[in-house]
Amino acid sequence: MIEVDRLEKSYGFARALKGISFSVSKGEVIGFLGPNGAGKSTTMKILTGYLSPSGGSGSVNGLDVVKDSLAVRALIGYLPESTPLYTDMRVDDYLSFCAEIRGVPARDRKAALARAFRLCGLERVTGKNIVELSKGYKQRVGLAQAIVHEPPVLILDEPTSGLDPNQIVEVRKLIERLGEEHTVVLSTHYLQEVEKSCSRVIIVNHGEIVADGTQEQLLAKQPGGGLRVRVRGPEAAVLTQLKELLVDVPVEVVDRNDDGNDDGNDYRIAGDGDQAPMAEAIARTVINNGWDLLSLQRETPDLEDVFRKLTLSQAEAANV
Amino acid sequence: MSNVITSLWGRETRVIFRRELKSYFLSPIAYVFGGLFLTVLLFLSAKTSLVHGAPATMQPFFLYLPWLFLIFLPGLTMRLWAEERKLGTIELLLTFPVRTSQVVLGKFGAVVAYLGFILLLTLGLPLTLGAYGSIDWPPVLGQYVASLMFAGSFVAVGMFWSSMTRDQIVALLASIVSLSVLFLLGNPSVIEFFGSNLPLWCAGLLNGISPYKYFLSIARGVFDTRDFIYFTCFCGFFLYANVLVLKARRESKG
Repeated sequence: MIEVDRLEKSYGFARALKGISFSVSKGEVIGFLGPNGAGKSTTMKILTGYLSPSGGSGSVNGLDVVKDSLAVRALIGYLPESTPLYTDMRVDDYLSFCAEIRGVPARDRKAALARAFRLCGLERVTGKNIVELSKGYKQRVGLAQAIVHEPPVLILDEPTSGLDPNQIVEVRKLIERLGEEHTVVLSTHYLQEVEKSCSRVIIVNHGEIVADGTQEQLLAKQPGGGLRVRVRGPEAAVLTQLKELLVDVPVEVVDRNDDGNDDGNDYRIAGDGDQAPMAEAIARTVINNGWDLLSLQRETPDLEDVFRKLTLSQAEAANV
Repeated sequence: MSNVITSLWGRETRVIFRRELKSYFLSPIAYVFGGLFLTVLLFLSAKTSLVHGAPATMQPFFLYLPWLFLIFLPGLTMRLWAEERKLGTIELLLTFPVRTSQVVLGKFGAVVAYLGFILLLTLGLPLTLGAYGSIDWPPVLGQYVASLMFAGSFVAVGMFWSSMTRDQIVALLASIVSLSVLFLLGNPSVIEFFGSNLPLWCAGLLNGISPYKYFLSIARGVFDTRDFIYFTCFCGFFLYANVLVLKARRESKG
């Protein structure tokens, strides 16, 4: 459905996209993740024809986004970042304008509007001026605008940014519903959003794709599942003992909890697989030495770990 | 090529046109602008025309009109693209399945239609004059058409500047300066001054690019198809430049 091949974009000397490639099949819901300035919006703007690429190519349904821009744009429903709207218009007038300019024939327009209103839960505000609406409702108007012509592809740039938690849940449900009929590419900062509503995740950083796969695939790549143990006792001695016990397994102090109380240190023990025997051995060592074992838990990696690991540089990571 | 030309005033252009025109009547700016413009214009012309014993003529009206366009229009046109940028709606507008030229033409058409509406409101003046004296209607109507084309040429320039910059004030100043120069070049005394210092063809060329020159020629009551062609080309040139600016922005940050 969407093919992106070595897409590049430079703004002056700054290279916003350094040749990214990915493809999206029909019916997928893709979560585009990345820190600010990673190139998410730029990619979306190129696919929707707002910007032209500096190199590489993109296509939707086999149509080139540059050469067949008009045809591609007709296939897409787009919600730009920060949801621009003609705020002086009424909700129904605005939606009618969007439907008309996208070529929804007059006889189908009423039904198209009704469908968009229903899907986005806008029935109660159709006669209001957009400027009077709350942020959540404005966001829904933006989404309604993107789906009113029933496009096969939806491109949503941060559809939930700036919303309160309740609104986020609502918009997320809406996107899930839309995902049943449309191919969706959405960008977001909220990892939960991706975990809940996306079938695949693409993580971009500094204009490059650093990960592309289902959540399970990404989590499987993340080393983790290590142990985290909190011990009250002399740091040097604990470290030496643990290292003696666990030959060749990296042990490090991850948190000294030095807030005045003697809450002990957090040690992280790398490794994966079945760690029950290791946990047992560690517990015994700590107790035998007369130190206090305050907690011992298994670390389970989540998407956030994957994201942070892939998008933070070494220097930044050290400061976290 | 022919399909490009027919698409210029196609369905999409008309949709943009209607939305824009409607937005003028939804926004207070249009009312304030229209009210102020009409007040100043009618006051000035009525002061000279609606005086006991004065001849029933629209000459003062059409004398002041271009100057008021020069003063008022840059303020109206500076927002045309800057506002879309501020709201971010330009990103919607340029990602609808619509040609950039259609967006530009729809917007331009809406401003011209709005100004046409304002000019219609001034018809009260010649109607009043006609009731008390005799008005020669054909030239007056010709002058109205000329005024609208003249205004259109100013709108095309102002809109071009609005597309060039994010800053409304820069667009305003650039429009005022360039329109003033164009205006002065059409002024006979300015051209006389140039004529005595520059080669004749050069003075003629400078004079020939000024919309004011063509306005004056129509205002004298001579309606020549060449004047009409001139205005079409002049507007076409700046509107095309506008399209190129918007397209060039796709290469940069948009």
